[in-house]
Amino acid sequence: MPEITFRQAIHDALVEEMRRDSSVFLIGEDIGTYGGAFGVTAGILDEFGRDRVWETPISEETIVGSAVGAAIVGMKPIAEIMFMDFLTLVLDPLANQAAKVRYMFGGKATVPMVVRMPSGSGTGAAAHHSQSLETILMHIPGLKVVAPSTPYDAKGLLLSAIRDPNPVCFVEHKLLYKTKGEVPNGEYTIPLGVADIKREGTDLTIVTSEIMVHKSLSAAEDVSKEGISVEILDPRTLLPLDVDTITNSVMKTGRLLVVHEAVKTAGWAGEIMASVSESPAWDYLDAPMRRLTGKDVPIPYNRFLERAAVPQEEDIVREIQAIVSNQY
Amino acid sequence: MPIPFIMPKMDMDQEEVVIDQWLKNEGDTVEKGEPVIIVETDKITSEIEAPAEGKLARILYKENQVVPVTQVVAFILKEGETEADLPHVETADDETQQDTHQSKSAIEGKPISATSLAKRIAETEGFDLREVPAVGEKITKEDIDAYLQTRCKIKPRVESPATPAARRFALAHNVDLKTVEGSGPRKRVQASDVLNAVQQMSHKTPDRQSTATKLEPLQLTSMRRRIAERLTASYQNIPHIFLTVEVDISRAEKVRKQLNQKASTKGFPNISITTYLVKVISVCLMRHPFLNAYLKDERIHFWEDAHIGIATALEDGLIVPVIHKANKLSIHEINRQVKTLSQKAHEGSLSREEIQGGTFTISNLGMYGINSFTSIINQPQSAILSVGAIKRRPVVVDDEDSINVRPLMNLTLAADHRIIDGAIAAHFLVDLKDLLEDPEGVINSG
Repeated sequence: MPEITFRQAIHDALVEEMRRDSSVFLIGEDIGTYGGAFGVTAGILDEFGRDRVWETPISEETIVGSAVGAAIVGMKPIAEIMFMDFLTLVLDPLANQAAKVRYMFGGKATVPMVVRMPSGSGTGAAAHHSQSLETILMHIPGLKVVAPSTPYDAKGLLLSAIRDPNPVCFVEHKLLYKTKGEVPNGEYTIPLGVADIKREGTDLTIVTSEIMVHKSLSAAEDVSKEGISVEILDPRTLLPLDVDTITNSVMKTGRLLVVHEAVKTAGWAGEIMASVSESPAWDYLDAPMRRLTGKDVPIPYNRFLERAAVPQEEDIVREIQAIVSNQY
Repeated sequence: MPIPFIMPKMDMDQEEVVIDQWLKNEGDTVEKGEPVIIVETDKITSEIEAPAEGKLARILYKENQVVPVTQVVAFILKEGETEADLPHVETADDETQQDTHQSKSAIEGKPISATSLAKRIAETEGFDLREVPAVGEKITKEDIDAYLQTRCKIKPRVESPATPAARRFALAHNVDLKTVEGSGPRKRVQASDVLNAVQQMSHKTPDRQSTATKLEPLQLTSMRRRIAERLTASYQNIPHIFLTVEVDISRAEKVRKQLNQKASTKGFPNISITTYLVKVISVCLMRHPFLNAYLKDERIHFWEDAHIGIATALEDGLIVPVIHKANKLSIHEINRQVKTLSQKAHEGSLSREEIQGGTFTISNLGMYGINSFTSIINQPQSAILSVGAIKRRPVVVDDEDSINVRPLMNLTLAADHRIIDGAIAAHFLVDLKDLLEDPEGVINSG
């Protein structure tokens, strides 16, 4: 299988679906001539022209609001919010309109749209351009939230997201764009709402997503030298959440750690832990469930502080060791 | 309202001070921030400043008196106020009186000794100081803190901290969590603790059993010891091979019946199956010398006659009396000897000669209903025959595949493979089978 970058995988999914389905179009800031802030849409304007690649003024509300309208009347818009931080600007069209239309019209209207949103810290972009706000989206019934960690998942999930009749928020962690992975040629889809075991293990389950999957994989490799066997589970879709796969894994290992970059308070780690508590897996827990998350602070600009604000590989290693050695 | 002059708390852990000196007297005018009292703590002396401007009134604590911090020590009258405006305040004397009063009314009659701060906390929090155990002579704030902590401590619903997995295992294995020592933090019982406990319990169970059977070890009798030694040596030194054959003894039974009819008319005892076997085997052994031989010093020694041992079970062991030269005895003589030796064996009156010199042994467990079994060769012999029960079973009796019910008996030969190969053993066994199934010639021969 050819190895391509995460960015390329998303680019390919967009192009392939635009070729396959003429109702698919892109809308966002600087996505045409400039190719997008992270280069994801480079070259798409040349192939599809301005009818299919809509460049907008700096108004996220316009981008998403237009997309919602277009979707309701049968188009399949793919909107790009340059940074996930601007999500707060688009919550009305997204949360109050897109998420509700299908319900309020008894299923007679659907909103088949995708909002792509680069997330996360690690680029020195400071507090306004570094947040992980997926939990806000997870709290809105009617939305779907997808957060891939590999090029393979990104392409397969994006195709499913575009074809889904509901508004799907597609979260792309900035640090993933340059990561590489094997992606098969040609079309394939990954169903939404299905988790993936990224590494099998027996001593501890780590539920994690996006860039933290990679940090957790490195940490798991580290502790494997001490004989600790870590299972790494990537939900891939945060809403709806694949609770069964998570609880099955916890039943197997008896220990749970949730790692995410989003801040701790009201973060989705709590949702995972609560789901496990409610499940039969509770009876199999042999240690308190733990979460390792971003600190409850805006992401600092100072690069040392920025690094300290979110979990790093060494933090994950320490946490794994502490849980497995019964320190909690 | 007159302003209360409160003794400030200067250190985090400070509870009281001693008034060293009043710099002003009652009625003196003070400025706000002006030093009014010099106090002593355990560390230093400090000046306490007036909290407001006015006239100093009602000094409550005299010099050298101990004052609890945050206590009102005096008042400052603002302009236009008089002593009549002062509120009623308990003096130190009042408190002492109250202490005495309390101690008198205390159920246990024990006087309560507490610091003023402790008393005030008790009053504010609304609990009885008598419930507070003191570390030192007086009840202090620390004592109250400790008391409040224990008083507020939530009584957990479950007594033993344990992980959910540990609880599940405990339930499944019927383990009382209180009996399991937790290896987790705060002595929390982990799943592995329960499993270890279960394992220990299962180890204990056979322990109990062994205690039950550990009545008295049974000392081996000399016979038992010799059996053990000889059989072990035989089984270790001789490579045994085993061959089994099924014998139809319907004709033999008929012959035996006729013999017995004759015998009864002559007053002879009935011919037993063992007698019959001894007779036929002794004849057969004469045709197969390797089965009536032994290995010694790299030579195979052959016996001239067949001396047939009969394994006889005793209450506490096993003995093998020998029918000497069985090949030369009549069936009635064999029968007589078999019966005599058996009786002697059970009486324990066998002579040395009667148990020595065997060249072949038969062991019969047929009377127990055993179909077939193997025996260990009785050294220095080279073969032993295991005789199973006679049972009536359906069997194909001709080439037309006709099935008849016949009395059948399994014979299993154990042979010393060092000198007897499978084919030799097979020839002997098949020959024996033929003789047993067609016994007239043999029986009539003697």
